[in-house]
Amino acid sequence: MDAVRVQEADFSIEAEVTALRQASSRIGGIATFLGCARDFSEGRAVAAITFEQYAPMAVKALGALRDEALERFDIIETRIVHRVARVTPGEQIVLIIVGAEHRAPAFEACRWLIDELKRRVPIWKREDTPAGERWVTPHP
Amino acid sequence: MSVRVLLFGAVAERAGRREFRLDADAVADVADVVTAAGCRDEEALLVAVNHDIVRDWRVRVHDGDEVALMPPFSGG
Repeated sequence: MDAVRVQEADFSIEAEVTALRQASSRIGGIATFLGCARDFSEGRAVAAITFEQYAPMAVKALGALRDEALERFDIIETRIVHRVARVTPGEQIVLIIVGAEHRAPAFEACRWLIDELKRRVPIWKREDTPAGERWVTPHP
Repeated sequence: MSVRVLLFGAVAERAGRREFRLDADAVADVADVVTAAGCRDEEALLVAVNHDIVRDWRVRVHDGDEVALMPPFSGG
């Protein structure tokens, strides 16, 4: 499994953590961020979310984020998986895992990665609401 | 050869198309592509040339380039 992926299928957190831990036996702390689909957003019920991506640029941007995180933070390995599919509330959307010797850089890098992913990776979500479908405008 | 233009998300929906080609001789820079796509009035439009974000719309475009016109990202 590649360390960064955009895929339609669901992912296994356990499989990703296992893959991350195989990178090094020096990993002493692992931080994860899991983004899930909500059933309510900005005052409206959400029945489903559909994702669109600009595939070659998305994969390139994720790879660049991983490289930059490995450079900026005192971490050992990181994996990022983002789904591009139609998902219903409760389903998994995005997973970021960071392994480091110690917890502080793992947490910092994990937070930085999800913030930068939202800013730099060309993926868009459209929510299916009772008022019709609407493209989501980004919020911090 | 030509310039391949890709549109995404709400930008594609408003423009009524997701992809088209422009004669490379008809466009000099990114601003020309944005105009040809009818996207001059898009707020916060993001443009990528060959998968790299371009902030300066005076960047030249060439035969074989791929230009993406995108709304702000909303992944995660």
